[in-house]
Amino acid sequence: MTHTETAPQGAVEAPTWEPRIVGFLCYWCSYTGADGAGSARIKYTPNVDIVKVMCSGRIDPELVTMAFSRGADGVLVLGCHPGDCHYINGNHKTMVRMPLLRRILEDFGIEPQRFRHDWVSAAEGEKFSRLVTEMTEQIRALGPLDWPKRMRDLGVGHGAGLGPWGEDHR
Amino acid sequence: MDLQPSAQSEADNGNTASPRVGVFICHCGGNISDVVDVGQVSQESSRLPGVVCSMTHMFFCSDPGQNLIEQKIREEKLTRVIVAACSPSLHEMTFRRCVARAGLNQYLFEHCNIREQVSWVISDKKQATRKAGRLIRAAASRAVHLKPLQRRRIPIHPSALIIGGGVAGLTTARDLAQSGIQVTLIESSPFLGGRLASLHRIYPTGMKARDVLGPLIEEVAGNPNVTIYTNAQLENASGFIGDFRTTIRVTPRGVTSECLNPQEVIDACPEESLDPFNLGLSKRKAIYKPYDGCYPPVPAIDWRTCTKCGVCFEVAGGKGIDLEEQPKLVEVRSGVIVLAVGLNTYPVRHAEYGFGEFPEVVTLHQMNRLLDPQGPTGGLLMVNGRQVRSVGFMHCVGSLQRKGIHKPMRDGKINEYCSRVCCTTTVHTAAELKERFPEMQIYDFHEDIRTYGRKHEDYYDAVSQKGVVFIRFDPLRPPRVQRDPKGKAPLVVTTFDRLTFGEELEVPLDLLVLAQGFVARDMSKLVDLYRCSVGSDRFLMEVHPKLRPVEMAASGLFLSGSVQGPMDISESTAAAAAAAAKAASMIRTGVIDLDPFVARVEENLCSGCKVCLTVCPFQAISRDEARGIAVVNEALCMGCGTCAASCPSNAIFQDGFEDAQVKAEVLALLEEPSLVAAAD
Amino acid sequence: MSTNGKLKIGMYWAASCGGCDISLLEIGARILDLTQIADVALWPCAADFKYKDVAAYPDGYLDVCFYNGSVRNSEQEELARLLRKKSKTLVAYGACACDGGIPALANFKSPKSIFQAVYHDNPSLDNPAGVEPQPETPSPFGTLRLPIFYPAVLRLREIVDVDYELPGCPPQADRVWETIQAVVSGAVPPRNNGLRVGCTGKTVCEDCPLEKRLVKISGFRRHHEFRPEPGWCFLEQGLLCMGPATRGGCGALCIKGGLPCEGCYGPAAAVEDQGAAMSGALGGLLDASTEERAQELVSQISDPSGRFYRFTTAAGMMKVHGQGGQS
Repeated sequence: MTHTETAPQGAVEAPTWEPRIVGFLCYWCSYTGADGAGSARIKYTPNVDIVKVMCSGRIDPELVTMAFSRGADGVLVLGCHPGDCHYINGNHKTMVRMPLLRRILEDFGIEPQRFRHDWVSAAEGEKFSRLVTEMTEQIRALGPLDWPKRMRDLGVGHGAGLGPWGEDHR
Repeated sequence: MDLQPSAQSEADNGNTASPRVGVFICHCGGNISDVVDVGQVSQESSRLPGVVCSMTHMFFCSDPGQNLIEQKIREEKLTRVIVAACSPSLHEMTFRRCVARAGLNQYLFEHCNIREQVSWVISDKKQATRKAGRLIRAAASRAVHLKPLQRRRIPIHPSALIIGGGVAGLTTARDLAQSGIQVTLIESSPFLGGRLASLHRIYPTGMKARDVLGPLIEEVAGNPNVTIYTNAQLENASGFIGDFRTTIRVTPRGVTSECLNPQEVIDACPEESLDPFNLGLSKRKAIYKPYDGCYPPVPAIDWRTCTKCGVCFEVAGGKGIDLEEQPKLVEVRSGVIVLAVGLNTYPVRHAEYGFGEFPEVVTLHQMNRLLDPQGPTGGLLMVNGRQVRSVGFMHCVGSLQRKGIHKPMRDGKINEYCSRVCCTTTVHTAAELKERFPEMQIYDFHEDIRTYGRKHEDYYDAVSQKGVVFIRFDPLRPPRVQRDPKGKAPLVVTTFDRLTFGEELEVPLDLLVLAQGFVARDMSKLVDLYRCSVGSDRFLMEVHPKLRPVEMAASGLFLSGSVQGPMDISESTAAAAAAAAKAASMIRTGVIDLDPFVARVEENLCSGCKVCLTVCPFQAISRDEARGIAVVNEALCMGCGTCAASCPSNAIFQDGFEDAQVKAEVLALLEEPSLVAAAD
Repeated sequence: MSTNGKLKIGMYWAASCGGCDISLLEIGARILDLTQIADVALWPCAADFKYKDVAAYPDGYLDVCFYNGSVRNSEQEELARLLRKKSKTLVAYGACACDGGIPALANFKSPKSIFQAVYHDNPSLDNPAGVEPQPETPSPFGTLRLPIFYPAVLRLREIVDVDYELPGCPPQADRVWETIQAVVSGAVPPRNNGLRVGCTGKTVCEDCPLEKRLVKISGFRRHHEFRPEPGWCFLEQGLLCMGPATRGGCGALCIKGGLPCEGCYGPAAAVEDQGAAMSGALGGLLDASTEERAQELVSQISDPSGRFYRFTTAAGMMKVHGQGGQS
């Protein structure tokens, strides 16, 4: 799955695929770090959409599997550096969840580069921008994941008019 | 200001079935609109499900901008408001208040960041516009699921507990007591004053340290609002914000003011040990006073050295000495707690620059004692019976350490930070030496000189002009200290000098003074009991270094002085005063106003499996045995959401960050970009 | 067709092991009460019924039809649609119909690799020509047809509208009886979130007799490797128990029998992805202060995805392997 959609010659130009990455950022460190990149006017790829939470400890595996299954090409989870958590060790709880989550993603056939867990402090705007750009290019090379398309191709959730996750399309 | 939303709008609030969403997109004076086509985004947003109005403005944070939002809320009977503008860290509170003034619950507001995270970081305008549209769509989707929330208001007991009786703790105590607040001050050693008491002269005024300390202690001890416990340590902590219950263990002093001849008693005591007040340069008895004018003015017994031989009791005629006194536990109730436990000096290693190997190598703090006329040598600068005629100062001992060059401390980390005050203290000491001993040859070995403070540079200039020789070493090739093989002097320091293009110098010295840095105390018990945030440099961490510099993440806890990091006396007292002001302000308000983002247990879903209890960093969750479910203590809950993420039943959720809200946001981000034309 | 005034009930088995059919008998003597008021109009496991007879029933003929097993092939889909038409009330019976069940573990593999394993690589095979089942095969007697093997295992609700879902592998006998009673009496069975009946609103932990000591997990073992200390939570002892992440209703049967819960009643009421929910909880219980140590502990769990999604692979967020022919 490494193709991108491009329009045939002469037709109206179809949108080319851009990696869509959902980023869960903790407010105190990583979100503020991302703001820092903005204050410094550092330019980086726009492919990570930031979802703010108070602490990276809030990110449970269900949110990550949901993001992938509903169309994310990549998921990023950023927290405070170990020892710097505003809530003492919420970031640590997330870190300890990671090996199990990674194993599950691997078992479901999701390439490891699509999921990234890292530390960004409030002062690391530069690191944030590099991280985002790097992850975007890695995922661009892998191509779209497009899990909803996989569901459609496999005929999951077609019969009763409900989507694979119970969405009502009737 | 207590903002009361109208009953009508509160009743309509939280209606997720037919929301009326208003979208307000800020130009931010061009900061956003120069890159994002806000007009286009506004048009698209007006077509989103639930959106009844969408508009832009040059500066929504301005008064006219806010008035416009309020007006629209009323006119359009909005039940949800989105503002897409700069980062929430700047104006989220502004807009929450604006929304509340219009009668809508302030937590039915969603802030969307399209400046720091969009217009300032994306050059391609089409991409920026598309992203802004997408983020607003996600915010609108999330907003539909928001519920009205009330900030927590927890009453505060009008009292303060201050842990630490050094200059910072004393300053905070004085300020709080003078403003009428009941203060309990506890100090772990038998005497108040901390590190300041053992200093000699202090910069920038050159005053004697004890002349600064004395009046401060009098103000504190003399204030009826203050209760002081010395020889007191933390035993246990319970309670919560606004009503802390702290148990302290008071070790017996062994001596009271009834003892009428304390000096005779001290002289008679047969047991001695190294005196920590003089940094091990002299001895003290098992019953002692560190200096004349100490507070309390009553001697104390060092139980580790005391053999309970009873000589003191006899000499005192049985008055005021009790060798069998037992420790006692005292419970202190307080609305706030101030941590003022200070720091330690870096424990110089044996053989580090010759320390411990050669008696001619001392620390800067020891040097301070040697220069003190009330110190162990009466102010005479002699080592091994030999008059000191040449002194070297070595900067950055235990600070600015480099991996591979310096050995880590017990926790495996090196001290990469600068300890801030040692440079000025060093040149100040050098200045005093030059004043008292004009013929003294002084050499200053440094990798950098950081006399950063007001008037500090004057010391540096002064000693330069008086002939102190400054030698700049390469931190990757630190100087070596040995016995002088040529016998010209006790020591010779060999170093490369970057100021003379790397020439290797050999400097004979009578005395080498190591300007040791500062390290955090072992505060593991404190950190555990109060669940403090600790930085990677081991010092305690404030919530925000600029916006909330003396507050800790746990509400009701304040930082006073160098517990937060190396600082000099002026900085410590400034920080201490700030802590007092903040604590007093909190107490005067009477209630503490906290974010509403707490965890809640859905009783019908919780089976009491206790996973949340185990993961909560604040131990804010307990199990109600009767009902078999988890229960959250709202006063302890800090709103991290770790429990919500860990619950295998999704029975505990975080107000403001519920699964439904976060999932709606994520789903909206992943929808096909149907609103943006394909060929653009 | 008889019109004797008795209710008509049906039980159909799709991609099933037959355990659910047997479980209907677990209601014991109560089956005699059942037969007083109801006739069995379809039960392929127990007696011979022809599809054409079922097709000839009037629509809505079956007052209640239990459909157990998941949907793996076209025949099972066809019958699901047929039975939906012919039933007033259609109940997804058992873990397979509700969540995909054990057959849905096949979703971690592609049909190609399944066929490769079953029809080519299996050591006891004698298939030199490498024959695989074909949907159509010409023969002297006409075209022989086999159902089409679907690329993924599906739940009943993905094929037709389902009225109720009764979870469990198999559903516990008392829950089955309560559900039957409620349906046949015309009352709406008590539902706990969505379609589920015959279960509580909470998890197995509510009914579990073992005590939690709030000890973190310092290592994982399987139940043949050691003798667990009685009275103490299995999970805390390192014996993987899905109890905290599993819907209650069975009364913690397995645990009372000395074995850890495997999760057959599916996810808790407010959870969509049982495996993700369990992994989030487990993450918080590991005795690990570094990611390396957490990794070490996790590697002691044999086949975590298989264990956490044992009965719910088709019901979680991702449902299938992402790489199709590559597994």
